Amino acid sequence: MQVSTALPATPPRIGRLAVQVGLAFALAMGVAGGIAFLAARYQLMQEADDALAHESRKLILKGYPNDSATLAKRVIDRRAQKILASRGHIVYGPDGRLLADGLDIPPLPDGYAETIYRDHSRKWHQGRALSLRLPDGGRLVIVEHSEVDATMREMMLIGLIALIVVGGLAGVTAAWVLTRQIAQRLDLSVGAADAIAQGDLSRRISLDGLDGIFATQAGSLNHMLDRMEQMVRSQRQFASHLAHDLRTPLTRLRGLLQAEAEAHAADRPLLDKAERECRSIIAIFDSLLRLSEIEAGRRPTAMAPLALDEAILDVAETMEPVIADAGSRLALAPLPPATVLADAGLVQQLLVNLLDNIALHTPAGTQASVALAVERHEATITIADNGPGILPPERERVVRPYESGGATRRDKSMGSGLGLAIAQAIMRFHNGALELVDNRPGLMVRLRFPVSS
Amino acid sequence: MSAIRVLVVEDDPAIAGQICHGLMARGYATDLAASGEAAFKACTGGQFDAIVLDRMLPDTHGVELLGRLREAGPVPAVLMLSALGSVEDRVEGLVAGADDYLAKPFDMSELSARLVAICRRGGRKTEDKAEDNSELGGDLTVGRLRLESASHRATFGTEAIELNRKQFSLMAYLMRHADKIVTRAMLIENVWAYSFDPATNIVESNLSRLRTRLQVLGCDPIETRRGEGYVLRADLCK
Repeated sequence: MQVSTALPATPPRIGRLAVQVGLAFALAMGVAGGIAFLAARYQLMQEADDALAHESRKLILKGYPNDSATLAKRVIDRRAQKILASRGHIVYGPDGRLLADGLDIPPLPDGYAETIYRDHSRKWHQGRALSLRLPDGGRLVIVEHSEVDATMREMMLIGLIALIVVGGLAGVTAAWVLTRQIAQRLDLSVGAADAIAQGDLSRRISLDGLDGIFATQAGSLNHMLDRMEQMVRSQRQFASHLAHDLRTPLTRLRGLLQAEAEAHAADRPLLDKAERECRSIIAIFDSLLRLSEIEAGRRPTAMAPLALDEAILDVAETMEPVIADAGSRLALAPLPPATVLADAGLVQQLLVNLLDNIALHTPAGTQASVALAVERHEATITIADNGPGILPPERERVVRPYESGGATRRDKSMGSGLGLAIAQAIMRFHNGALELVDNRPGLMVRLRFPVSS
Repeated sequence: MSAIRVLVVEDDPAIAGQICHGLMARGYATDLAASGEAAFKACTGGQFDAIVLDRMLPDTHGVELLGRLREAGPVPAVLMLSALGSVEDRVEGLVAGADDYLAKPFDMSELSARLVAICRRGGRKTEDKAEDNSELGGDLTVGRLRLESASHRATFGTEAIELNRKQFSLMAYLMRHADKIVTRAMLIENVWAYSFDPATNIVESNLSRLRTRLQVLGCDPIETRRGEGYVLRADLCK
């Protein structure tokens, strides 16, 4: 059984989200880059094709003979007129003989096509070609050198990689910034939720710096907390009012029983018994009242630095004769100094309650011990005995109000059954934890107090 | 010696009856006031040694009445009664000037013992017996029994024993209230300063340990009064 302790204060974590968003960004950038590249390339191809069509209209003239021999002549003339560095012309005769120019080019189908060719420089180039069949069965091929296209192809890989890398980085950064912002806003609610888990129902999420869905969410959480606080308060008030209101009739009852006991000595045993019962009802109400007082955290002013070692020593001094009278023994381990922020009165009650339990619920001859250990962020008091212990399924039960150890109880009229529930409430009040552990044999109660640095 | 005069301020007739009856049976002279107004009149008109004051009255609050009485003149010892048993309420009652605070329900013997403890007249009776310099860091003496506060030692004649802190405080309280009954609850509140009721009888166990220690000294003046409490008898310290 363990009472939830304060959550460790970790900075808001973003987790895998940034990487995932980064990858998605990179993929999107890659696809967008690819599409842009293809579109640009298609545009360039169109332009090249337009140029080829334009050139073909300059060579194949309507109303004039357009046989291969004439075209060969026209090509040679045109080439003589101006230098068309980026364009080549080839004219084949009907028999396939080369009539004009001499680009080295593989056979091409009719119409526009991608091709490679080799000119006088003996270097292969990439280009766009238009192949036209002539009326005499010859063929005219116009080749447009497209350096841009070639460069683009080379650049495509580098461009895509660059896009993906930049996209990925931008994605991770954007996601990181966004999630950080979200985490910071959510952290406000986490802080409030932690405080509430520790019993501070008065905490609310500040709406400063929140907008949109975050403000709405914080607002509705705050509203929920208002309702919860109200409900818890009214429940506690009910419990303490019940305890208060029943005190007056119990006072009368007890007074009557005492008066009767004094007047009728013969009936004393019965009246004494009734009075004892009355006393135990009062004890339960007192404990209930105390429990609600602790749970409501109504004594925050009592919090002060407390030397746990001295508090233990003080209670052990008081409880040692009690445990000795029960036929058992209480040993105290050497206590290291430990200071915690605590309510001294509550710590006293905590230790007395737990040592009371040993005196009441373990058989004579039990060996009990109290020890204190100090770590960096925690001081742990261990109260152990070698008595009959508590079975694991029972351990959770006994810290709930109105349930106690049962089998080993010697006197049903002793204790309110709220001892461990009060002990647990006290630990919760101190943001600590109460753990019931098997001492093999017996029970070990560990009380873990946070040590503020 | 005339009886101690107590004004009981309580509006619940059954409880008021019990208190008056119980106190009269123990030799007190009692007057009853069922409201704050009646209590104010009775108190300013008559001479009382103590007031048993209920915290909640039909016309006023016990704390307010106490304030009014203080303005009007010297106030006798006040024992405040309340159905509220929380620590806060106790503190509020004591801060308001009550000499002691008792939560309902209570034993008549508890009420009686506390009245004796706070009563000015009751207090003077033992002055000649217990020499109390403990407030000044000095020692406490009852007869030949001496309690040294610096060393936590108890001496009787030539014998001496050392007491632990709890035994010392217990002894000191008993000596300061020599010849008066001190109840278990009074010891829990004043020696242990516990604001809760332990499930075990820590007073009995610690007292019996103290008595065992005192027997070594050859002086065992503490008596258990069944159903009432404990008395340190000054005549047994001679």
